[in-house]
Amino acid sequence: MRTRDAIRFSWNALTGHKARSALILLAISIGVASVLLLTSLGEGARRYVNGEFSSLGTHLVIVMPGRNETSGVGLGNMMGITPRDLTLEDAHALTRHHSVRRVAPLTVGAVEASWQNRKREVTLLGSTSELIHVRRWTLASGSFLPQDDWARATPVCVIGKKIRDELFGARSAIGQWLRLGENRYRVIGIMSSEGRSIGIDVENTVIIPVASAQILLNSSSLFRILIESVSREAMQDSIRFATATIKQRHHGEEDVTVITQDAVLQTFDRILSTLTYGIGGIAAISLVVAGILIMNVMLVAISQRKSEIGLLKALGASQREILGLMLAEALLLSVLGALLGFAIGLAGSWGIRQALPDLQAVPPLWAVLASFIVALASGLLFSLLPAHRAASLDPVQALQGR
Amino acid sequence: MLTTDFIRLTNSSLITHRMRSFLTMLGIAIGITAVVLLTSIGEGIHRFILQEFTQFGTTLVAINPGKTETMGMSMGVFGSERPLSIEDSEALQRLPQVQSVVGIIQGNAEVEAARRSRRVTIYGTGSAFPETFNMPIALGRFLPDDDPVAPRPLAVLGSKVRQELFGHTNPIGQKLRVGGEAYRIVGVMHSKGQVLGFDLDDTVYIPLASGLAMFNREGLMEIDVLYREGAEEQRIVASIRKLLIARHSREDFTITTQQQMLDVMGSILDVLTLAIAGIGAISLFVGAIGIVTIMTISVSERRAEIGLLRALGATHNQVMGLFLGEAVVLSALGGLAGLLLGMLIAHSMPLFFPQIPVHTPWLYVLLAEASAVIIGLAAGVIPARQAARLNPVEALRDE
Repeated sequence: MRTRDAIRFSWNALTGHKARSALILLAISIGVASVLLLTSLGEGARRYVNGEFSSLGTHLVIVMPGRNETSGVGLGNMMGITPRDLTLEDAHALTRHHSVRRVAPLTVGAVEASWQNRKREVTLLGSTSELIHVRRWTLASGSFLPQDDWARATPVCVIGKKIRDELFGARSAIGQWLRLGENRYRVIGIMSSEGRSIGIDVENTVIIPVASAQILLNSSSLFRILIESVSREAMQDSIRFATATIKQRHHGEEDVTVITQDAVLQTFDRILSTLTYGIGGIAAISLVVAGILIMNVMLVAISQRKSEIGLLKALGASQREILGLMLAEALLLSVLGALLGFAIGLAGSWGIRQALPDLQAVPPLWAVLASFIVALASGLLFSLLPAHRAASLDPVQALQGR
Repeated sequence: MLTTDFIRLTNSSLITHRMRSFLTMLGIAIGITAVVLLTSIGEGIHRFILQEFTQFGTTLVAINPGKTETMGMSMGVFGSERPLSIEDSEALQRLPQVQSVVGIIQGNAEVEAARRSRRVTIYGTGSAFPETFNMPIALGRFLPDDDPVAPRPLAVLGSKVRQELFGHTNPIGQKLRVGGEAYRIVGVMHSKGQVLGFDLDDTVYIPLASGLAMFNREGLMEIDVLYREGAEEQRIVASIRKLLIARHSREDFTITTQQQMLDVMGSILDVLTLAIAGIGAISLFVGAIGIVTIMTISVSERRAEIGLLRALGATHNQVMGLFLGEAVVLSALGGLAGLLLGMLIAHSMPLFFPQIPVHTPWLYVLLAEASAVIIGLAAGVIPARQAARLNPVEALRDE
């Protein structure tokens, strides 16, 4: 039998029972489409997190006070304070290495900001002019902190958009004196609204020189030191240098944890990838159910088409040819179902992209390939038994319709 | 038609096509298995996390400095221009219905004993800590109720620190250096394990005022208030707020109740469990398509039989009922098999993956079975109507 005849034969068998074939196609396409849609959501989430992290700045090395020997890096030392503070001098010492491009010391706190009669509780960041480059932020208007001696407590501040709107309303904020706690600071710039940049809501933040913040919060310790390396390769050098320098400055006591942005990113990436695999796998169970349906319908079809198969065999079709015919029919169903599923899945993920532009929901390539292969495999596997049964029919009995 | 006849007619077609019925049920069974298994895992994790929270007691109120919150954490913990003081916590102690109050400062320092040293988490805290957080003591006693401003230099070890520094020897009465200062060990805490990312065993507890001095801080990171069981939470929160505003002249702190945390966590986890069950239900939906397909086929096969029934006087509704009944039996049996399989897998999972908590709530089991029956009904409607609409004369002529 020629291939063309085989395909035509299966096609006729399928179109002969339109409702039945349509339902099987629906079952397969639901399976494939749900795998594509769900993995595209997972992939979108992964890309979103990746994007957030790369907007933090690349080649970023973070020094934080405190180190736990037994438990490693955990939530516990996120807000570590130590007997020996991480100081501004420590941060300064970290600038003296060829692998380091920029260093930004950071202190944080909560203070009350007021202008005339309006008050608002805000997040306070104390840093230097380098911060805006290290974190890749942009200004809406005015200028950022001046390039001054770090130890100089200049009374100036840069404020977030939300603070500008709520305290100053329609009036121009630049040049005004903003009261933070007991002191006054002149507003010199407005941050543009990047919204939330992991961990810190820029819109509700006031940034002042680090020395001013230390006076305001009455503390000489730093919350973090952010280091930007010159290149990706230099990051390991920077880590070694930072660890060694701080240890030397702290009388041989290694009381800081140095991490890279990459390490944090990789953790997130791993978690989200695993989730995506898991969700895709759960959705793929429906493809197995669709496979069972194919098997069931083929069994029915074979008992209905006994005389047809008997005739084919009587005309000289071999067992292999009958087997091939039946498998071709199942394969055709699976391929058509998978293609239909692709169409639905891709349209759905396009819909998600339109509804949530932040989430770049694109089904990953592995999901496309895997769902196609699983759909084909389950179609073929579950049709093996019915096809075998058809092939081993006795032509005489089959022609009699028994 | 008699009910017994009805049942016999419904089941006879299922029994004659054994393979077909089995495969149709298998489709539904796999769907229900997936749903039961996934909800069991979801519910298990839900319970595990709630347990993590409630082990500290549910009548707990936390006060942090600073009003703004970022990612659920007050920035005031790191620094605030008007911090919470030891005197604040003393004042809270005098409120009605308050059982215990404990101030906390947390940091990280090197501890040294018996020529061994390691870096651990340090909690500066008060004598009410074990009572407030429901943490039992294994050896000796906790920090005594000293003068809050000038306490004696005593320390209590977490179980892991004790293991690392002293092994199996008795640490009580031994000297311990914390951040370079000398303390005497008076007790060892019971092992608590990891709680939400914090290893409470890798910890040394010292008096609050010593902690403040060691870390050179003026303010506490947190004050925790345990109120009496049965007291009205809202009234407690209101009285705490009133007192602190009176002392600070404005609201520069954040109050979080354990109940709020539990509610938020609970609703997040419910949504997650539901979403996961929904993904599992896709298979159930595909199984339902299987029922529709097989029933359509069986209606077209049994045209003559239906024609005969109608000619003998069976009504429209009776024929429809027969086929609906067949669909429901298929899905209900499939659902039952799925339930058993799902629960079997769920409860044998701890043998292979002991770290995954599982729990199958009976409500979900009933819901899953009910949904299987409903799916059967819904899937049976189209074929059953096809059967009922058959013209008896034409159907009989096909024979």
